Amino acid sequence: MSSLFGTLSIAVSGLLAEQGALNVTSNNVANANTPGYSRQRPVLLEGDPVPVGPLLFGSGVVLDSVQSVGDPILELRLNEETQQHSQLDTMVSAMQQIEVMFSGGTADIGSQITNFFSSLQQLSTNPANMSARQGVLTAAGNLATAFRSTVNNLQSQRSNLDLSVGQTVDQINVLSGQIATLNQQISGIENLHQDAGTFVDQRTQLIRQLSELVDVSVVKSDNTLTITTSSGDALVAGTRSFALTTQTDFSGVQHVFSQGTDITAKLAGGNLAGIFAVRDQTIPALRSDLDTLAAGLATALNTAHHQGTDLAGVAGGDLFSPPPAGGVDAAANFSVVITDPSKIAASSDGSAGSNGNLTRLLDVQKQAVTAGQSPTDFYAGIVFRVGSDVANASAERDASDLILRQLGDQRSAISGVSMDEEAANLVRYERAYQAAAHVITVVNNMTDVAIQLGRY
Amino acid sequence: MRINPNVTADLLASLANAQEEQNKAMLQMASGRRVNTPSDDPSAAAILVQNQAQSSQADQFLRSADSVQAQLQTTDSTLNSVVLALQRAISLGVQGANGTLSDANRASVVGELNGIQDQLIGLANLSFQGQFVFAGTATQAQPFVADATQPSGVRYDGNAGTNSVAVGDGVSMQVNVPGSQIFAATGSDMFQAVHDLITALQSNTGIDTAVTGVRAAFDHVTAQRVFYGNAMNQLQSQQTYLNNDKLLLSQQENAVGGADLAAATTNLLSAQNARSAALAAAGKISQLSLFDYLNY
Repeated sequence: MSSLFGTLSIAVSGLLAEQGALNVTSNNVANANTPGYSRQRPVLLEGDPVPVGPLLFGSGVVLDSVQSVGDPILELRLNEETQQHSQLDTMVSAMQQIEVMFSGGTADIGSQITNFFSSLQQLSTNPANMSARQGVLTAAGNLATAFRSTVNNLQSQRSNLDLSVGQTVDQINVLSGQIATLNQQISGIENLHQDAGTFVDQRTQLIRQLSELVDVSVVKSDNTLTITTSSGDALVAGTRSFALTTQTDFSGVQHVFSQGTDITAKLAGGNLAGIFAVRDQTIPALRSDLDTLAAGLATALNTAHHQGTDLAGVAGGDLFSPPPAGGVDAAANFSVVITDPSKIAASSDGSAGSNGNLTRLLDVQKQAVTAGQSPTDFYAGIVFRVGSDVANASAERDASDLILRQLGDQRSAISGVSMDEEAANLVRYERAYQAAAHVITVVNNMTDVAIQLGRY
Repeated sequence: MRINPNVTADLLASLANAQEEQNKAMLQMASGRRVNTPSDDPSAAAILVQNQAQSSQADQFLRSADSVQAQLQTTDSTLNSVVLALQRAISLGVQGANGTLSDANRASVVGELNGIQDQLIGLANLSFQGQFVFAGTATQAQPFVADATQPSGVRYDGNAGTNSVAVGDGVSMQVNVPGSQIFAATGSDMFQAVHDLITALQSNTGIDTAVTGVRAAFDHVTAQRVFYGNAMNQLQSQQTYLNNDKLLLSQQENAVGGADLAAATTNLLSAQNARSAALAAAGKISQLSLFDYLNY
């Protein structure tokens, strides 16, 4: 048969369990605004029954464990979307700075091309006039400056992006080191079959931060966790972390290495991928377009210029410095050769007053001298490409923004701390605690009665 | 189903969205442009590059037309003076052909004709902005120089070159006629004709023939002058066309890249509404929870 002391110990187990549950609630409330915190819940279990004769009596309650509530699959989705989002975000902000150079200011290449041809046009009305000739040289100089300063801006943009590669890699290494340490702590706790919720929360948060920087793929086996880049290069394997390194290549930009292998081109998400997309694709493509434009213009204008004669009747030389072979860096080296306005070869018949060769120079404006297009059409194409690159990336970024927010909502719906819930739990635990305490009082009274038995 | 207990993130995102829309609408209204960066509308931005090139070209064509017109007008009025001088030479010739004229009178007629010859040389050496207009393309030196070794007493140092100036897309106009063609064409060389008239008056023979020669030169210059009249007409209609073209281009620019103010205003208002609604919602989110209703 059961004993009064048995009842007492059941009541005490209730007191302890409810107190523990209260503890969990208190911790939830305290962490309501902690980033990455997953709400916890107490797991209460019935005590093993005690057989008394033919009867089985319960033996109270046990606070078995404290569980963190979360959805690991959702966390993976969040990691993936975070990678995508920060890649796009980095791309958009870098490309928006590039876009400014092509936004139709008065000093951009397009306006300067037009201004240069206008100055030739002006000279054609009075071909021997020195101030009109000077006007052509000034406009040519402005055109050269526009090319060179655009290329310089692109180049410094590229250097800035390159600078952030090293910083990002440092951050990645710090994070993977921290994750390896946490792995060790977590496996220690989980080997004792306890819930390592708090540490798991911290690790999830660190993986989230890592996802902002680089594309990661998380593989969980038993109680260890392996993190690789999506192309399979290890960052963390259980309790070990593998540091990424950087190395400067022949063109002066930093490449990322994982244990001796160059993984720069393999990265597919996070800030690093965004940086590389702009640094290694967008900017070089733009520069090559500008080179095509500069080389086409310089070659066509020089060819036309050679056919005329200057004020002194001497055959025209180069107007612009001839583009390098293959046109590489033509825009960066675009410069005016002539400094003496009288050397402009405006004449087609050797007389100073002829403007016949200016017509040839002016024709270049309409000719397909750059990749089958007129200079202005080609430049308009560049503006279109820059604009649509930014517009597409921004649209994708906005979409990713929305997805990320929805995933965050879902995560919060599962793991977020609700005050109402905690208040209700608080009431439940408090009441149960009070009731258990009351049982103890009753047992006490009954024990008192038992002690009084047989007394007079 | 459990509901997301924390809506602050969503709320902040809506506020940020509304703010962004509002900023965009304000920028459009302030700049008057819908396309402020290429990414606002990439194809419109590309069209605007071409539009801008075309309209600044049209501006330049107009400036070219203005300077060509000034040159044409000066040239035409100079040719008018040449025609008047030749007319005077003809009437002097007719006067000199009158048999009753004394030698002394003829001498004074010759004197006046010599003056006319000098005047004609001066007129034919017209310079406009430092360039000799009747020198063909050799505009740096005086084209007509008195030279006794020449049969007409005048030597042509210019050439037969002409210049054309573009005053429109694919429209190019010849802007000068070489002096040799206007004044010194074979058979109607005005210097030769006046020179012949002077010789005839001095020798008092063949005056009538010489007067006919001057008439021919007069007719020739008058005919050549038509070129300038036509050119000025053509220029005028081209200017009208260019002004229309500029208007069309700026209309196109507005249609492609200009802000639709009505739409921008509406967008601004709706963004403002969305923002105030989100703000009101944020303010009304209950700060209360079950905790506030439990009595301890």
